[in-house]
Amino acid sequence: MHYLLYFLRKQYFYFLFLALEVIALVLLFNENAYQNSALAHVSNGVAGSILNISSNISEYFSLRRVNRILAEDNANLHSNRAEAFYRADTNAFFHKDTLYKLEYTYISAKVISNSTNKRNNFLMLNKGHRQGIENHMGVIIGDRIVGQVVSISDHFCWVMSLLNKDSRISGKFKKNNQLVNIEWNGGSYLKGDVKEIPKHVVVQKGDTIITSGNSDIFPEGLLIGTIDNYTLAPEENFNYATILFATDFNSLSFVEVIIDMMRKEKDNLRSSFKSNER
Amino acid sequence: MSIIFLRNVLRFAFLVLFQVLILNNIQFSGYINPYFYIYFILVLPFETPRWLLLISAFLLGFFLDAFTNTLGLNTAACVLIAFLRPFVIRAISTGTEFMTGHSPSIRNQGLKWFAYYSIILVMVHHLTLFYLEIFRFTEFFQTLLRVLLSSAFTILLVFIAEYLSFSGKK
Repeated sequence: MHYLLYFLRKQYFYFLFLALEVIALVLLFNENAYQNSALAHVSNGVAGSILNISSNISEYFSLRRVNRILAEDNANLHSNRAEAFYRADTNAFFHKDTLYKLEYTYISAKVISNSTNKRNNFLMLNKGHRQGIENHMGVIIGDRIVGQVVSISDHFCWVMSLLNKDSRISGKFKKNNQLVNIEWNGGSYLKGDVKEIPKHVVVQKGDTIITSGNSDIFPEGLLIGTIDNYTLAPEENFNYATILFATDFNSLSFVEVIIDMMRKEKDNLRSSFKSNER
Repeated sequence: MSIIFLRNVLRFAFLVLFQVLILNNIQFSGYINPYFYIYFILVLPFETPRWLLLISAFLLGFFLDAFTNTLGLNTAACVLIAFLRPFVIRAISTGTEFMTGHSPSIRNQGLKWFAYYSIILVMVHHLTLFYLEIFRFTEFFQTLLRVLLSSAFTILLVFIAEYLSFSGKK
Protein backbone atom coordinates (compact mmCIF):
# COMPACT_ATOMS: atom_id res chain seq x y z
CA MET A 1 0.00 0.00 0.00
CA HIS A 2 2.83 2.34 0.96
CA TYR A 3 4.63 1.41 -2.17
CA LEU A 4 1.53 2.07 -4.25
CA LEU A 5 1.13 5.53 -2.75
CA TYR A 6 4.80 6.24 -3.32
CA PHE A 7 4.46 5.07 -6.89
CA LEU A 8 1.39 7.27 -7.44
CA ARG A 9 3.17 10.29 -5.99
CA LYS A 10 6.24 9.75 -8.04
CA GLN A 11 4.34 9.28 -11.27
CA TYR A 12 1.53 11.73 -10.51
CA PHE A 13 2.26 13.75 -13.64
CA TYR A 14 1.40 10.82 -15.90
CA PHE A 15 -1.74 9.95 -13.97
CA LEU A 16 -2.95 13.53 -13.87
CA PHE A 17 -2.36 13.78 -17.62
CA LEU A 18 -4.26 10.56 -18.27
CA ALA A 19 -7.14 11.64 -16.03
CA LEU A 20 -7.52 15.06 -17.68
CA GLU A 21 -7.19 13.62 -21.17
CA VAL A 22 -9.84 11.00 -20.44
CA ILE A 23 -12.20 13.68 -19.11
CA ALA A 24 -11.65 15.71 -22.27
CA LEU A 25 -12.25 12.75 -24.58
CA VAL A 26 -15.38 11.69 -22.68
CA LEU A 27 -16.73 15.21 -23.05
CA LEU A 28 -15.86 15.14 -26.73
CA PHE A 29 -17.31 11.78 -27.68
CA ASN A 30 -20.18 11.39 -25.25
CA GLU A 31 -22.22 14.47 -26.07
CA ASN A 32 -25.20 13.48 -23.98
CA ALA A 33 -23.17 13.28 -20.80
CA TYR A 34 -22.33 16.93 -21.25
CA GLN A 35 -25.44 18.32 -22.88
CA ASN A 36 -27.70 17.14 -20.08
CA SER A 37 -25.44 18.28 -17.28
CA ALA A 38 -25.61 21.39 -15.16
CA LEU A 39 -22.19 22.23 -16.59
CA ALA A 40 -23.76 22.92 -19.97
CA HIS A 41 -26.06 25.53 -18.43
CA VAL A 42 -23.21 27.33 -16.70
CA SER A 43 -20.76 27.29 -19.60
CA ASN A 44 -23.41 28.15 -22.20
CA GLY A 45 -24.57 30.99 -19.97
CA VAL A 46 -21.10 32.46 -19.44
CA ALA A 47 -20.01 32.07 -23.06
CA GLY A 48 -23.41 33.37 -24.17
CA SER A 49 -23.26 36.57 -22.18
CA ILE A 50 -19.77 37.43 -23.44
CA LEU A 51 -20.61 36.60 -27.06
CA ASN A 52 -23.77 38.66 -26.61
CA ILE A 53 -21.74 41.77 -25.75
CA SER A 54 -19.53 41.22 -28.76
CA SER A 55 -22.50 40.76 -31.08
CA ASN A 56 -24.20 43.86 -29.67
CA ILE A 57 -21.23 45.81 -30.97
CA SER A 58 -20.78 44.07 -34.31
CA GLU A 59 -24.49 44.12 -35.06
CA TYR A 60 -24.24 47.82 -36.02
CA PHE A 61 -22.03 46.93 -38.94
CA SER A 62 -24.65 44.74 -40.57
CA LEU A 63 -27.71 46.97 -40.09
CA ARG A 64 -27.91 47.91 -43.74
CA ARG A 65 -28.10 44.30 -44.89
CA VAL A 66 -30.48 43.29 -42.09
CA ASN A 67 -32.77 46.14 -43.11
CA ARG A 68 -32.80 45.03 -46.70
CA ILE A 69 -33.66 41.43 -45.74
CA LEU A 70 -36.42 42.67 -43.43
CA ALA A 71 -37.87 44.87 -46.14
CA GLU A 72 -37.86 41.97 -48.59
CA ASP A 73 -39.54 39.72 -46.06
CA ASN A 74 -42.15 42.37 -45.34
CA ALA A 75 -42.93 42.80 -49.00
CA ASN A 76 -43.22 39.06 -49.31
CA LEU A 77 -45.63 38.85 -46.37
CA HIS A 78 -47.71 41.76 -47.65
CA SER A 79 -48.16 40.07 -50.96
CA ASN A 80 -49.45 36.97 -49.18
CA ARG A 81 -52.09 38.78 -47.13
CA ALA A 82 -55.72 38.24 -47.92
CA GLU A 83 -56.03 41.93 -48.87
CA ALA A 84 -53.50 41.45 -51.61
CA PHE A 85 -55.76 39.08 -53.51
CA TYR A 86 -58.49 40.06 -55.88
CA ARG A 87 -61.86 39.11 -54.44
CA ALA A 88 -64.53 38.15 -56.90
CA ASP A 89 -66.82 36.95 -54.12
CA THR A 90 -66.53 38.67 -50.75
CA ASN A 91 -67.42 35.50 -48.92
CA ALA A 92 -64.54 33.60 -50.39
CA PHE A 93 -62.15 34.43 -47.58
CA PHE A 94 -64.49 34.14 -44.64
CA HIS A 95 -65.67 30.60 -44.44
CA LYS A 96 -64.58 28.64 -41.40
CA ASP A 97 -62.57 25.63 -42.25
CA THR A 98 -61.38 22.79 -40.04
CA LEU A 99 -58.94 21.75 -42.75
CA TYR A 100 -56.53 24.45 -41.62
CA LYS A 101 -54.85 24.20 -38.28
CA LEU A 102 -51.73 26.04 -37.22
CA GLU A 103 -48.78 23.66 -37.41
CA TYR A 104 -45.69 25.87 -37.32
CA THR A 105 -44.91 29.07 -35.47
CA TYR A 106 -41.65 30.97 -35.62
CA ILE A 107 -39.49 32.71 -33.03
CA SER A 108 -37.06 35.34 -34.20
CA ALA A 109 -33.58 35.10 -32.68
CA LYS A 110 -30.34 36.99 -32.96
CA VAL A 111 -27.15 35.15 -33.96
CA ILE A 112 -24.54 36.05 -31.36
CA SER A 113 -21.82 33.69 -32.53
CA ASN A 114 -21.28 32.06 -35.88
CA SER A 115 -18.52 30.32 -37.78
CA THR A 116 -18.13 29.00 -41.29
CA ASN A 117 -14.40 28.22 -41.34
CA LYS A 118 -14.34 25.13 -39.10
CA ARG A 119 -15.03 21.59 -40.15
CA ASN A 120 -17.93 21.55 -37.68
CA ASN A 121 -19.71 24.86 -37.42
CA PHE A 122 -22.20 26.04 -34.81
CA LEU A 123 -24.21 29.20 -34.21
CA MET A 124 -25.25 30.56 -30.85
CA LEU A 125 -28.65 32.27 -30.65
CA ASN A 126 -29.92 34.56 -27.93
CA LYS A 127 -33.06 32.51 -27.22
CA GLY A 128 -33.29 29.46 -24.96
CA HIS A 129 -35.51 27.39 -22.66
CA ARG A 130 -37.32 30.44 -21.30
CA GLN A 131 -38.44 31.40 -24.80
CA GLY A 132 -39.65 27.89 -25.60
CA ILE A 133 -36.72 26.60 -27.61
CA GLU A 134 -36.21 22.84 -27.50
CA ASN A 135 -33.68 20.42 -28.93
CA HIS A 136 -33.95 19.41 -32.60
CA MET A 137 -35.96 22.44 -33.62
CA GLY A 138 -35.16 23.69 -37.12
CA VAL A 139 -33.62 27.10 -37.74
CA ILE A 140 -34.25 29.09 -40.92
CA ILE A 141 -33.68 32.52 -42.39
CA GLY A 142 -36.60 33.62 -44.54
CA ASP A 143 -37.41 30.54 -46.59
CA ARG A 144 -33.87 29.15 -46.53
CA ILE A 145 -32.59 26.61 -44.03
CA VAL A 146 -29.78 27.19 -41.53
CA GLY A 147 -29.56 24.23 -39.14
CA GLN A 148 -31.02 22.62 -36.04
CA VAL A 149 -30.88 23.29 -32.30
CA VAL A 150 -28.53 20.89 -30.50
CA SER A 151 -27.96 22.37 -27.03
CA ILE A 152 -29.94 24.79 -24.88
CA SER A 153 -29.51 26.78 -21.69
CA ASP A 154 -31.98 29.18 -20.07
CA HIS A 155 -31.37 32.12 -22.40
CA PHE A 156 -29.19 30.77 -25.21
CA CYS A 157 -29.02 27.87 -27.58
CA TRP A 158 -26.42 26.30 -29.87
CA VAL A 159 -27.44 25.51 -33.42
CA MET A 160 -25.60 22.95 -35.53
CA SER A 161 -25.45 24.61 -38.91
CA LEU A 162 -25.66 22.79 -42.22
CA LEU A 163 -21.88 23.24 -42.33
CA ASN A 164 -21.18 20.32 -40.00
CA LYS A 165 -20.05 16.77 -40.52
CA ASP A 166 -23.02 15.48 -38.50
CA SER A 167 -25.54 17.45 -40.50
CA ARG A 168 -27.56 15.48 -43.04
CA ILE A 169 -30.57 17.13 -44.59
CA SER A 170 -33.29 15.26 -46.41
CA GLY A 171 -34.13 17.20 -49.57
CA LYS A 172 -35.84 16.71 -52.89
CA PHE A 173 -35.83 18.06 -56.40
CA LYS A 174 -38.46 20.73 -56.78
CA LYS A 175 -39.20 19.67 -60.35
CA ASN A 176 -39.98 15.99 -59.71
CA ASN A 177 -39.93 15.36 -55.95
CA GLN A 178 -37.07 12.85 -56.11
CA LEU A 179 -35.50 12.44 -52.67
CA VAL A 180 -31.80 13.16 -52.08
CA ASN A 181 -29.53 13.82 -49.11
CA ILE A 182 -27.49 16.97 -48.62
CA GLU A 183 -24.22 16.99 -46.69
CA TRP A 184 -21.22 19.26 -46.29
CA ASN A 185 -17.69 17.96 -46.74
CA GLY A 186 -15.71 20.93 -45.53
CA GLY A 187 -13.95 23.60 -47.57
CA SER A 188 -16.01 26.44 -48.96
CA TYR A 189 -19.14 27.42 -47.04
CA LEU A 190 -20.91 28.21 -50.29
CA LYS A 191 -21.09 24.66 -51.61
CA GLY A 192 -22.28 21.29 -50.34
CA ASP A 193 -22.73 17.78 -51.68
CA VAL A 194 -25.90 16.11 -52.90
CA LYS A 195 -25.74 12.40 -52.21
CA GLU A 196 -27.81 9.49 -53.41
CA ILE A 197 -29.39 10.89 -56.56
CA PRO A 198 -31.25 8.00 -58.21
CA LYS A 199 -29.83 6.94 -61.58
CA HIS A 200 -32.95 7.71 -63.56
CA VAL A 201 -33.24 11.32 -62.46
CA VAL A 202 -32.05 13.74 -65.11
CA VAL A 203 -30.17 16.51 -63.35
CA GLN A 204 -29.38 19.88 -64.82
CA LYS A 205 -27.30 22.72 -63.55
CA GLY A 206 -29.56 25.17 -61.73
CA ASP A 207 -32.14 22.63 -60.55
CA THR A 208 -33.64 23.70 -57.23
CA ILE A 209 -33.39 21.47 -54.16
CA ILE A 210 -35.93 22.01 -51.36
CA THR A 211 -36.53 20.30 -48.03
CA SER A 212 -38.55 17.12 -48.25
CA GLY A 213 -40.41 17.44 -44.96
CA ASN A 214 -39.50 13.85 -44.09
CA SER A 215 -37.40 14.67 -41.09
CA ASP A 216 -39.74 16.58 -38.71
CA ILE A 217 -37.07 19.24 -38.31
CA PHE A 218 -37.93 21.33 -41.34
CA PRO A 219 -41.34 21.73 -42.96
CA GLU A 220 -41.60 20.83 -46.60
CA GLY A 221 -40.56 23.24 -49.32
CA LEU A 222 -37.81 25.35 -47.72
CA LEU A 223 -35.03 26.34 -50.08
CA ILE A 224 -31.70 24.49 -49.72
CA GLY A 225 -29.92 25.50 -52.91
CA THR A 226 -29.38 24.91 -56.60
CA ILE A 227 -27.37 22.25 -58.39
CA ASP A 228 -23.93 23.49 -59.37
CA ASN A 229 -21.94 20.56 -60.77
CA TYR A 230 -23.15 17.14 -61.71
CA THR A 231 -21.09 13.93 -61.87
CA LEU A 232 -22.24 10.63 -63.30
CA ALA A 233 -20.87 7.62 -61.42
CA PRO A 234 -21.53 4.70 -63.78
CA GLU A 235 -19.99 2.07 -61.51
CA GLU A 236 -22.06 3.07 -58.47
CA ASN A 237 -25.73 2.92 -57.62
CA PHE A 238 -26.25 6.64 -57.25
CA ASN A 239 -25.05 9.83 -58.89
CA TYR A 240 -23.58 12.82 -57.10
CA ALA A 241 -23.76 16.55 -57.45
CA THR A 242 -22.56 19.67 -55.72
CA ILE A 243 -25.06 22.22 -54.54
CA LEU A 244 -24.78 25.99 -54.25
CA PHE A 245 -26.39 26.84 -50.90
CA ALA A 246 -29.20 29.36 -51.00
CA THR A 247 -28.26 30.50 -47.51
CA ASP A 248 -25.31 32.85 -47.04
CA PHE A 249 -23.98 31.27 -43.84
CA ASN A 250 -21.30 33.87 -43.39
CA SER A 251 -23.69 36.79 -42.96
CA LEU A 252 -26.39 35.49 -40.65
CA SER A 253 -27.58 38.05 -38.12
CA PHE A 254 -31.25 37.35 -37.42
CA VAL A 255 -32.79 33.90 -37.91
CA GLU A 256 -36.06 32.18 -37.05
CA VAL A 257 -36.53 29.06 -34.97
CA ILE A 258 -39.36 26.79 -36.11
CA ILE A 259 -41.71 25.54 -33.42
CA ASP A 260 -43.67 22.53 -34.56
CA MET A 261 -47.00 22.62 -32.70
CA MET A 262 -47.75 19.02 -33.64
CA ARG A 263 -44.39 17.63 -32.67
CA LYS A 264 -45.67 15.84 -29.59
CA GLU A 265 -48.40 14.20 -31.60
CA LYS A 266 -45.89 13.01 -34.20
CA ASP A 267 -43.52 11.72 -31.51
CA ASN A 268 -46.35 9.89 -29.74
CA LEU A 269 -47.47 8.32 -32.96
CA ARG A 270 -43.96 7.19 -33.73
CA SER A 271 -43.32 5.71 -30.27
CA SER A 272 -46.67 3.93 -30.18
CA PHE A 273 -45.94 2.49 -33.59
CA LYS A 274 -42.58 1.26 -32.40
CA SER A 275 -44.04 -0.39 -29.28
CA ASN A 276 -46.70 -2.13 -31.36
CA GLU A 277 -44.06 -3.49 -33.63
CA ARG A 278 -42.26 -5.33 -30.85
CA MET B 1 5.96 35.55 -7.83
CA SER B 2 2.48 37.00 -7.53
CA ILE B 3 3.28 39.44 -10.34
CA ILE B 4 4.19 36.54 -12.61
CA PHE B 5 0.98 34.79 -11.57
CA LEU B 6 -1.14 37.86 -12.23
CA ARG B 7 0.53 38.47 -15.57
CA ASN B 8 -0.26 34.92 -16.65
CA VAL B 9 -3.88 35.16 -15.52
CA LEU B 10 -4.29 38.34 -17.55
CA ARG B 11 -2.59 36.73 -20.52
CA PHE B 12 -4.95 33.77 -20.17
CA ALA B 13 -8.04 36.01 -20.27
CA PHE B 14 -6.68 38.15 -23.11
CA LEU B 15 -5.75 35.19 -25.29
CA VAL B 16 -9.11 33.44 -24.77
CA LEU B 17 -11.03 36.58 -25.74
CA PHE B 18 -8.68 37.38 -28.63
CA GLN B 19 -9.17 33.84 -29.94
CA VAL B 20 -12.96 33.60 -29.65
CA LEU B 21 -13.84 37.18 -30.58
CA ILE B 22 -11.32 37.85 -33.33
CA LEU B 23 -9.33 34.88 -34.62
CA ASN B 24 -12.29 32.50 -34.75
CA ASN B 25 -13.99 34.92 -37.13
CA ILE B 26 -11.12 35.02 -39.60
CA GLN B 27 -12.18 33.60 -42.93
CA PHE B 28 -9.54 32.28 -45.32
CA SER B 29 -11.21 29.82 -47.67
CA GLY B 30 -11.97 27.39 -44.84
CA TYR B 31 -8.42 26.12 -44.63
CA ILE B 32 -6.71 28.50 -42.23
CA ASN B 33 -7.88 28.59 -38.62
CA PRO B 34 -5.08 29.99 -36.47
CA TYR B 35 -5.19 28.87 -32.83
CA PHE B 36 -2.92 31.49 -31.31
CA TYR B 37 -4.33 31.03 -27.78
CA ILE B 38 -1.86 28.19 -27.08
CA TYR B 39 0.80 30.90 -26.84
CA PHE B 40 -0.27 30.90 -23.19
CA ILE B 41 1.04 27.35 -22.72
CA LEU B 42 4.20 28.06 -24.73
CA VAL B 43 5.35 30.93 -22.54
CA LEU B 44 4.50 29.69 -19.05
CA PRO B 45 7.62 30.03 -16.86
CA PHE B 46 10.09 27.14 -16.81
CA GLU B 47 9.60 26.40 -13.12
CA THR B 48 5.79 26.15 -13.34
CA PRO B 49 4.82 23.05 -11.33
CA ARG B 50 3.89 20.31 -13.74
CA TRP B 51 0.45 19.75 -12.23
CA LEU B 52 -0.28 23.46 -12.67
CA LEU B 53 0.81 23.16 -16.29
CA LEU B 54 -1.76 20.43 -16.91
CA ILE B 55 -4.56 22.09 -14.94
CA SER B 56 -4.12 25.49 -16.58
CA ALA B 57 -4.00 23.88 -20.03
CA PHE B 58 -7.19 22.01 -19.20
CA LEU B 59 -8.93 25.22 -18.13
CA LEU B 60 -7.65 27.07 -21.21
CA GLY B 61 -9.02 24.41 -23.54
CA PHE B 62 -12.26 24.21 -21.64
CA PHE B 63 -12.90 27.96 -21.93
CA LEU B 64 -12.18 27.85 -25.64
CA ASP B 65 -14.54 24.91 -26.11
CA ALA B 66 -17.34 26.57 -24.18
CA PHE B 67 -17.27 29.39 -26.72
CA THR B 68 -17.41 27.16 -29.78
CA ASN B 69 -19.58 24.27 -28.55
CA THR B 70 -16.82 21.76 -29.13
CA LEU B 71 -16.53 20.45 -25.55
CA GLY B 72 -13.38 18.38 -25.05
CA LEU B 73 -11.81 19.16 -28.42
CA ASN B 74 -9.47 22.03 -27.55
CA THR B 75 -9.19 20.63 -24.02
CA ALA B 76 -7.73 17.34 -25.24
CA ALA B 77 -5.24 19.06 -27.56
CA CYS B 78 -4.14 21.56 -24.88
CA VAL B 79 -3.64 18.94 -22.17
CA LEU B 80 -1.57 16.90 -24.60
CA ILE B 81 0.86 19.70 -25.43
CA ALA B 82 1.08 20.72 -21.75
CA PHE B 83 2.07 17.13 -21.02
CA LEU B 84 4.65 17.07 -23.82
CA ARG B 85 6.11 20.49 -23.01
CA PRO B 86 8.64 19.35 -20.35
CA PHE B 87 9.85 16.52 -22.57
CA VAL B 88 10.23 18.79 -25.59
CA ILE B 89 12.15 21.33 -23.52
CA ARG B 90 14.45 18.59 -22.20
CA ALA B 91 14.94 17.09 -25.65
CA ILE B 92 15.97 20.26 -27.47
CA SER B 93 17.98 21.92 -24.68
CA THR B 94 21.67 21.50 -24.09
CA GLY B 95 21.29 22.41 -20.43
CA THR B 96 22.67 25.92 -20.44
CA GLU B 97 19.62 27.88 -21.46
CA PHE B 98 17.61 27.82 -18.25
CA MET B 99 17.54 30.54 -15.69
CA THR B 100 15.08 30.64 -12.82
CA GLY B 101 12.26 33.11 -13.22
CA HIS B 102 12.40 32.95 -16.98
CA SER B 103 9.87 31.87 -19.56
CA PRO B 104 10.65 30.30 -22.91
CA SER B 105 11.28 33.17 -25.31
CA ILE B 106 13.39 34.18 -28.27
CA ARG B 107 15.32 36.66 -26.14
CA ASN B 108 16.34 34.12 -23.49
CA GLN B 109 16.82 30.96 -25.51
CA GLY B 110 17.62 32.23 -28.97
CA LEU B 111 15.74 32.07 -32.22
CA LYS B 112 16.68 28.52 -33.15
CA TRP B 113 15.71 27.00 -29.81
CA PHE B 114 12.41 28.84 -29.72
CA ALA B 115 11.62 27.95 -33.33
CA TYR B 116 12.09 24.23 -32.65
CA TYR B 117 10.11 24.48 -29.44
CA SER B 118 7.13 26.38 -30.82
CA ILE B 119 6.94 24.51 -34.13
CA ILE B 120 6.88 21.09 -32.42
CA LEU B 121 4.20 22.04 -29.89
CA VAL B 122 2.03 23.99 -32.34
CA MET B 123 2.13 21.15 -34.88
CA VAL B 124 1.22 18.55 -32.24
CA HIS B 125 -1.65 20.72 -31.03
CA HIS B 126 -3.03 21.38 -34.52
CA LEU B 127 -2.68 17.76 -35.62
CA THR B 128 -4.59 16.57 -32.56
CA LEU B 129 -7.20 19.27 -32.86
CA PHE B 130 -8.02 18.92 -36.55
CA TYR B 131 -8.00 15.13 -36.64
CA LEU B 132 -10.11 14.83 -33.48
CA GLU B 133 -12.52 17.37 -34.98
CA ILE B 134 -13.03 15.45 -38.19
CA PHE B 135 -12.44 11.96 -36.77
CA ARG B 136 -12.60 10.07 -40.01
CA PHE B 137 -9.96 9.11 -42.53
CA THR B 138 -11.83 9.92 -45.72
CA GLU B 139 -10.66 13.54 -45.60
CA PHE B 140 -7.10 12.71 -44.52
CA PHE B 141 -5.13 14.88 -46.95
CA GLN B 142 -7.60 17.73 -46.91
CA THR B 143 -7.25 17.82 -43.12
CA LEU B 144 -3.46 17.58 -43.36
CA LEU B 145 -3.46 20.64 -45.58
CA ARG B 146 -5.57 22.51 -43.01
CA VAL B 147 -3.14 21.43 -40.26
CA LEU B 148 -0.08 22.66 -42.17
CA LEU B 149 -1.57 25.99 -43.27
CA SER B 150 -3.08 26.74 -39.87
CA SER B 151 0.12 25.78 -38.03
CA ALA B 152 2.14 28.08 -40.27
CA PHE B 153 -0.22 30.93 -39.50
CA THR B 154 -0.24 30.25 -35.75
CA ILE B 155 3.57 30.07 -35.66
CA LEU B 156 3.74 33.36 -37.54
CA LEU B 157 1.49 34.95 -34.89
CA VAL B 158 3.62 33.45 -32.10
CA PHE B 159 6.76 35.01 -33.60
CA ILE B 160 5.06 38.36 -34.08
CA ALA B 161 3.99 38.25 -30.42
CA GLU B 162 7.54 37.34 -29.39
CA TYR B 163 9.06 40.24 -31.28
CA LEU B 164 6.44 42.65 -29.96
CA SER B 165 7.24 41.71 -26.35
CA PHE B 166 10.94 41.73 -27.25
CA SER B 167 10.89 45.33 -28.39
CA GLY B 168 8.52 46.30 -25.59
CA LYS B 169 10.92 45.24 -22.86
CA LYS B 170 14.02 46.91 -24.29
